[in-house]
Amino acid sequence: MNECILVVDDDAEIAGAIAITLEREGYRCLKAADGLEAVDLALTKPVDLILLDVMMPRLDGLSALLRIREKRNLPVIVLSAKSEDSDKILGLSMGADDYMTKPFNPQELTARVKSQLRRYTQLGDVHAQARQGQLVNGRLAYDPESRQLTADGEAVRLTATETKIVELLMRHPGRVFPAEEIYRRVWGEETAYACENTVMVHIRRIREKVELNPKEPDYIKVVWGIGYKMERHG
Amino acid sequence: MDTKWNGTDRDPGENLEDYVTYQISGALDGGADAPGVIRVEPGKHPRLRAWTGLMALLLGFALAAGGLCSALGQWVMRGSGEAWELDWQETKAFQSTISGYVRDFLILGAGGTLEWYDTVLESDTVWGSDGTDTAASSDMAAEETGDTAPDAAYQADKNMLYGIRRNHRLRYTNTGDLLDDAADLPEGYNFLLIFKDGRARAWKDGTEIDLYGDGVYTEDSGWYLPGYENFTAGEGVEDVEVRLAVREVPILYLQGRYDSGYVSDSSPLYDLYQELREIRSVYLGTALAMAAGVALLVLARRLREDRKRAEAAVAAKTAYIWTELRFLAAAACLLGMMGTGRLWDYYHAVRYDLYRVGAGQWPDLVTAGLSYGIGMVLANLPAALALCLLLWLIRNDHRYNPREQRRGCLRSLNRVLRDRTLRLPVQKRLRRWALAPVVGMVLCTAAGFAVLLVCMSWYWDAYRTFVALTILGFVLVLIICALSARHQLALARDIGRLADRTAAIRSGDLDAASDLPRDGDLHQIAEDLDHIQAGLQQALADRTRSERMKVELVANVSHDLKTPLTSILSYAELLRQEPLEGAAADYARIIDQKAQRLKAMVQDVFEVSKAASNQLPVDLERLDLAKLLWQTLADMADPIEQSGLTLRTDLPEGEVPVVADGKRLYRVFQNLIQNALQYSLPGTRIYLTLKAEQGRAEASLRNTSRQELPAGVDFTARFVRGDASRTDGGSGLGLSIARSFTEACGGTLAVETVADLFTVRVSFPLAPER
Repeated sequence: MNECILVVDDDAEIAGAIAITLEREGYRCLKAADGLEAVDLALTKPVDLILLDVMMPRLDGLSALLRIREKRNLPVIVLSAKSEDSDKILGLSMGADDYMTKPFNPQELTARVKSQLRRYTQLGDVHAQARQGQLVNGRLAYDPESRQLTADGEAVRLTATETKIVELLMRHPGRVFPAEEIYRRVWGEETAYACENTVMVHIRRIREKVELNPKEPDYIKVVWGIGYKMERHG
Repeated sequence: MDTKWNGTDRDPGENLEDYVTYQISGALDGGADAPGVIRVEPGKHPRLRAWTGLMALLLGFALAAGGLCSALGQWVMRGSGEAWELDWQETKAFQSTISGYVRDFLILGAGGTLEWYDTVLESDTVWGSDGTDTAASSDMAAEETGDTAPDAAYQADKNMLYGIRRNHRLRYTNTGDLLDDAADLPEGYNFLLIFKDGRARAWKDGTEIDLYGDGVYTEDSGWYLPGYENFTAGEGVEDVEVRLAVREVPILYLQGRYDSGYVSDSSPLYDLYQELREIRSVYLGTALAMAAGVALLVLARRLREDRKRAEAAVAAKTAYIWTELRFLAAAACLLGMMGTGRLWDYYHAVRYDLYRVGAGQWPDLVTAGLSYGIGMVLANLPAALALCLLLWLIRNDHRYNPREQRRGCLRSLNRVLRDRTLRLPVQKRLRRWALAPVVGMVLCTAAGFAVLLVCMSWYWDAYRTFVALTILGFVLVLIICALSARHQLALARDIGRLADRTAAIRSGDLDAASDLPRDGDLHQIAEDLDHIQAGLQQALADRTRSERMKVELVANVSHDLKTPLTSILSYAELLRQEPLEGAAADYARIIDQKAQRLKAMVQDVFEVSKAASNQLPVDLERLDLAKLLWQTLADMADPIEQSGLTLRTDLPEGEVPVVADGKRLYRVFQNLIQNALQYSLPGTRIYLTLKAEQGRAEASLRNTSRQELPAGVDFTARFVRGDASRTDGGSGLGLSIARSFTEACGGTLAVETVADLFTVRVSFPLAPER
C-alpha cells in the first residue's frame, strides 16, 4: 500500500492531522493549501486520491474539482464544514465521489479513503468489471448465484436471513419496502406481531457490516414511518 | 422645415393644394398601379402625410357631400330629364314653347284678344323666369292700348320667324320672305312648322316629323297643338295659316323701345337654349366635384394612420374650447338652417318628389319630416357643411382628449364642487347624500305650494298651474332620487371592494391593489388602508430579512466553529493514540469527550435556530406514526438496553397515518427517548404510548425524573435543563429541537410535569384515509 493522497485544506493543522492519520495507515501524503496548488499537484504528481476542502482562498474546492476532472480521472472526497443536504448534493453533482462533513471521524475518513481507493485502483471501473447477472449498486455488488455480497470488492459475511434481505433490496434499488413485506418475503411467513422490530434488528446488523458509517448509512436506509430501501448510487 | 419632397424643398403648407392635385391626378390616371390605387411611400414626411390626410378628409367630404346635395337640389328643383338631351329642339320644353307660339299666333290670326299674361312670352313653360319678362308684360299692356301692332312683342326675336295669314292674306310677319317650304328656309334656320286647315306639319332639317303620334292627345304628348282626334282647332281658324321657322342655334336679339324707356330682350327660345346648356354645365361641374371629393376620400382613407396624428393635434388645439360653445355653435347652425326662406321652396319640391317616388304611400308625417329635413340640408348647403365640420370637431375632441382634459362650464363647475366636497370628512359627505332627496322633496313641495298660492291670489288658472307644477316637481324629485340612487350604488360597490380588500389583507395578501375611484367617498379610507398595507408589508419584509440574517449569522458562526473544532477533534484522537501515562491519558479522553459534545451542540444550535425562524426545509409525506415509533425503538435498542431502564410500549397494531417529515420526526422521538434515558431514575420504567382518537394521533412518553423537577420551567426552551448547573451530558437543546421539528411538521409538543413524573405529548392531526 503506497498510494499517494493529496490533502487539500487551507487550515494547515487540519491538513496535518489528516496526513498523520493517513500515513499511519501506510499512505503517502501530499499537502496543498488552496485550489490552485491542488490543481497543480494533481496534474503533475502521481496522485491516487484527493481529499478536498471547499472553502479555500484563491480557488475554491469545487472549481478546483472541475479543473482536475477535465484532465484526470481519480477519486475525490470532498471535506466541507457545510452540512446541509443541498451542499452535499451540489458537491456530488460537481463530480465528487464522496462527501464528508467537518468535523469528521478519523476512522470513518480512513474507511472512506480505503473504499474509494479499492474501487479505483483494484477494481478499476466497477461497472466494467461487473459479471453477468451481478447486481451492482455503488460500492456494493451482489451475486445471486453464489449469494455473495461484496463491498468495494471485498466479500461481506452475512447470515442467511441477512443475505435474503440484501438480495431483496439489491434487486430493487430505490424502492421502499414496508417491514411487513420484507418479513413475508424473507421469512416466508405471515406478518407476525412486532415484525418491525425483527426486521429493523437485521437491517442494523447488515448496516454495520456494509456501511462505512453505520450511524449515517449511505446505502441501506430507513424511510421513517414507511419502510426500508436500498439507496440507488451511480 | 426640412420635409423634402420630389427632391426639392417645399413647404407643404403652401404646396398642399399642388400636392393634393398631384395625388388626385395620379389616382385618376391610375399611373403604374391599378386604377384608383394611390401609391403612398411609407414612412416619409410624417407631418406632410398627416396634414394631407386630414385636409383630404375634410375637403373630400365637403366636395363629395356638397356635390351630392347640390345635384339633388338641382334635380329636386328643376328635374333632370331634359338636361342630357343634346339637341335642344328635341326637348319637351321646346315643343311646349313652339306650341305656345302656335297658340298665340292662332289667336292673333283669328283676331282674338291676346291676354298679355297668357302669352308664350309670359307663361312659365320655360324654367325659372327671373323677372326680365316684366318688360314684355308692360309691352303687352302697351299693346292692349292699341297704338302698336298686336304682334309687336314677337317681332324683335328673329330666332323665330313667323307668318300668319288669313284667307291667304298675310296679316302678321316678322320676316319679309314667305316661309313656303322646308327647303326654302333661310340660312341658320332648320325647323319649319306650318299650321293649315286645322292641322300642323313640321320639318326639321328638311325631314318631316311626326307631331300627333297616334292622334290622341294625352298629358304626355309634347305638342300641344290642335289636330288631334280629341283636340281640334274649332271655329274661327279654318282659314288661318301659321308658318314659323326656328333658328338652329338661337342667339340673343335685343330691340330698343326707347320711347317706352327700355330695351326689350324677350326671347323665350334663346332663354330655353341657354337654360338647357346651363343646367348641363351645373350637373357636369357637380359630378366633377363629387369625383374629386371621392378621390380625396380615398386618399384620406389611405393615409388614415398618418391622419390620426393631425387629428390628435387638432384635438389638442380645440381642447381649450368649451364643450358648450361647440354645441351652441352647432345649434346655431341648425337654427340658421331652419330659418332660411328658401327652405320652404325646397320643402315643397322635395315633398312633391317624395310623393312621386313613394307614390303617396308613406304616412304624411314621415313625408313631411323627410321633406323638411332634406329641404333644410338642400337649402343650406354651406351651413350643413359647417355643421358637419362642427360635429366632426366635437367627435374628434371626444376621441383624442381624455375626459379630464376637456373644457366646459358644467364640467368646471362640477369639478369645483367635487373638490370642495372631497375635502369634507366622509361621514359629512354621506350625510349630505342621505339628506339630499328629503330636502329636495320638501323644497320642491314648498316651492310648488308657494307658486300655487301666488297664482290663486292673482286669479290665474290655478288648476292647470297645479298640474304643471306637480309634474315639474315630480320630475325634479325623480331626478334627485335617480342621482341619489346612483350614488348609493357607487357607494355599495366601493364598500364591497373595500371589504374584499380588507379580507384579502387579513388572509395575508398584502399585494392587493386599491381600485377605488379617486373621487369616491371612500377614497380616503382606501388610501389609509394602502398606508396600513404598505406598513405591514414593510414590517413583514423587515422581519423576514432579520430572520434570514439571524440564520445566516448562526450558519456562519457554526461554520467558523467547526473549523477549529475539526482540528481539536483530530488532534485529540491522535493524542489518544499516543502512549500516554496516568493523568495525561485521562485528560486526553476528557478533551475528546468535550470536543464531541461541542460538535453535537454546534450542529444542534444550527438546526434549532433554523427551525425557530421557519427556515427548516421539511419534506412532508404520509407515513405511519406507529411504524415510525417501532423503527425508532429498534434503532435505539442498544442505548435502551444499556441504560438499565425498562421501556414499556403501548402502540396500536393498525396504521396511524399522519403527514410529516419522517427524518425530522425520527429526530423528535430519538431526542425524547434519549432525554428520558438520560434523566430517568435508575430502575424505573419509561412508558411510550400512542393513541389515535378524535382525529388526532397522540404519542406520549412518561418517565420518572431522577432529580426533583423545578416548577414553572418551560423545558422546551433552548438550553433549559432540569438542573441549572449544566454539568451533565446534554446540550440542553434536545427538547427544543424536538418541539421545533414537531411544529415544523405541523404537530404540537407539550411537556407536563406532575411531581417527578415527566410527560411529553406529541400530537398530530390524523391524515385522511386514502
